[in-house]
Amino acid sequence: MSTQNQNGYMLLYRSDEWYEALSHKELQKVINQNKAWIDRLTAQGKARPGHALERKGAIVSGKKGRVLSDGPFAESKEAIGGYLLLDVETLEEAIAIAQSSPSLAYGTSVEVRPLAEECPLDVRARELAREEQLVHA
Amino acid sequence: MSTQNQNQNGYMLLFRGTDLRKGLSPEELQKVTDNLMNWFKRLTEEGKAVAGNPLEREGKIVAGKDRVVSDGPFAESKEAVGGYFLLDVATMDEAVAIARECPGLPYGIRVEVRPVAGECPIAADIRAEAQFAV
Repeated sequence: MSTQNQNGYMLLYRSDEWYEALSHKELQKVINQNKAWIDRLTAQGKARPGHALERKGAIVSGKKGRVLSDGPFAESKEAIGGYLLLDVETLEEAIAIAQSSPSLAYGTSVEVRPLAEECPLDVRARELAREEQLVHA
Repeated sequence: MSTQNQNQNGYMLLFRGTDLRKGLSPEELQKVTDNLMNWFKRLTEEGKAVAGNPLEREGKIVAGKDRVVSDGPFAESKEAVGGYFLLDVATMDEAVAIARECPGLPYGIRVEVRPVAGECPIAADIRAEAQFAV
């Protein structure tokens, strides 16, 4: 895996509503830690504004997009609860930032993904076209 | 489901099941890709899409108190997120209408539509709780 990426990284936070089980005091502590963490990354120019996602929404699927379903966005541990965009150049640095996330202690998991310079579908279409040419050559 | 909700902060579209490579000819794949690009370009020109990116089919997952790093499955999994858009539209209905235009839907792509929170929902919860206590 190439670890350099000019386009930055996306952190996707997955968790259920773990914060529902915390006391007011504990919760305030996590909120303060999280805010201080984000403020520091932003001041260092490493993070662009990130956002939490509301624990609701819809999923559109089906050939014509006619299927509309609810989450689950609250109970599932796999649900995405927020994201952060990082302006760092290597996967190692993005992982190090992910590892410093205060919410990890509460069961959140963080997905670290390089933003693609070129759509991977485009790249694959070109590969396939080349393979076909080789077969026909 | 309340789809009438107004949301000042916009909506995020998360694209899942974007591994369309199997079963498509290069021409078909190129066509879907072009349609996706043109769709995003139009939404950007209309001021409805403010950001968006495909994600590489690789990455890592960090989890647990010990902050363990592992490989995802990002390529094979139907649940894997393959890209996102941020939409500057005011209602869930409008965001869902845009999701329904996704050119990848006939090929099995699913679009998750999520309201972006203005402030951390956790912080909003705790404030509401504090007010309730008073």
